[in-house]
Amino acid sequence: MNLKVLEYSPRFIRFSVSGITPAIANSVRRTLISDIPKLAIDKVVIHHGQIRDKEGNVYDSSLALFDEMIALRLSLVPIVTDMKMNFREQCTCEGKGCPLCTVSYSVNKLGPALVTSGDIQAVSNPDLKPSDPDIPIVKLGPKQAMLVSAEAVLGRGKQHAKWQATSGVAYKYHREFEVDKQAFPDWTSIKEKCHNSVLKETSKTITFTDDFPCRLFNRLFESDGVKITEDDTNFVFKFETDGSLDPLEILDFTFKRLSQRLNLLHESLVGND
Amino acid sequence: MIIPVRCFSCGRVIASDYEKYKERINELKSKGEAIEAASIESILDDLGLERYCCRRMIISHTDLIDEIIPFS
Repeated sequence: MNLKVLEYSPRFIRFSVSGITPAIANSVRRTLISDIPKLAIDKVVIHHGQIRDKEGNVYDSSLALFDEMIALRLSLVPIVTDMKMNFREQCTCEGKGCPLCTVSYSVNKLGPALVTSGDIQAVSNPDLKPSDPDIPIVKLGPKQAMLVSAEAVLGRGKQHAKWQATSGVAYKYHREFEVDKQAFPDWTSIKEKCHNSVLKETSKTITFTDDFPCRLFNRLFESDGVKITEDDTNFVFKFETDGSLDPLEILDFTFKRLSQRLNLLHESLVGND
Repeated sequence: MIIPVRCFSCGRVIASDYEKYKERINELKSKGEAIEAASIESILDDLGLERYCCRRMIISHTDLIDEIIPFS
């Protein structure tokens, strides 16, 4: 198996994996979607009743959205995650909640204002703050205020979408277009616009790959003089993250997790025999 | 009501992009330009909203929270 990162940014990655089968490619995709641990707010305590500021002005805590909706919106906010943390049920505190498995947050805002994810203050660990500070949570009218404390724990995408670290996870076969220069005279414009997609060129033919996206490739499908070959052992993956984890960190974990789970399956099938 | 935090279909965070989208649209309006499909397309492309599931979240949203605040 050979892995090559084709494109990388802090929120996006495109990489190719060769020497695998479609079944493995799909299990990598499913692991990326549903098996990556990530922090998300899981418990929210909303203060009800009067809220007073320093000058003694009284604010009301009933808001435009229902408490359930505020709790959901808080939980969907992506939080920068430390992979070294424990799952609560596997933690040494035996599920009670301790700094190794729980991060606490508070929101304290007086209206009129727009409460955003930037107002979620990390109480116990200031590094684990929301990765995106501009997500609107709720809008406060005059004389309204919000006083909320929350706890975040690790979870996986299969439990709830709030623990899903990746989006747009997809893969395709590595594809090669062998273009006959005489039969398809348009090849010059494609070569010019998508120059890093040229694999090889001879006097009669030129070969492109669509590993890197380029809009002009649409013309190559179902055209005369173009021979398309797909390689079902070589896959081009891409996915986005929500900022809670680095794409390379996710990728690294995915392959570890997958082999760990396959080993577990193998052991349970043949181990006791 | 208020913009959903994530895209319903794929789970990408789109709420923060909606604020930027509104800013850009208001910028065009203040210049007196007509809002055309092509200008909306370029804004969405700039925000990195690649898939149509995320794009419809932004385009089809109606912000009604300001009308609800007086009744809370």
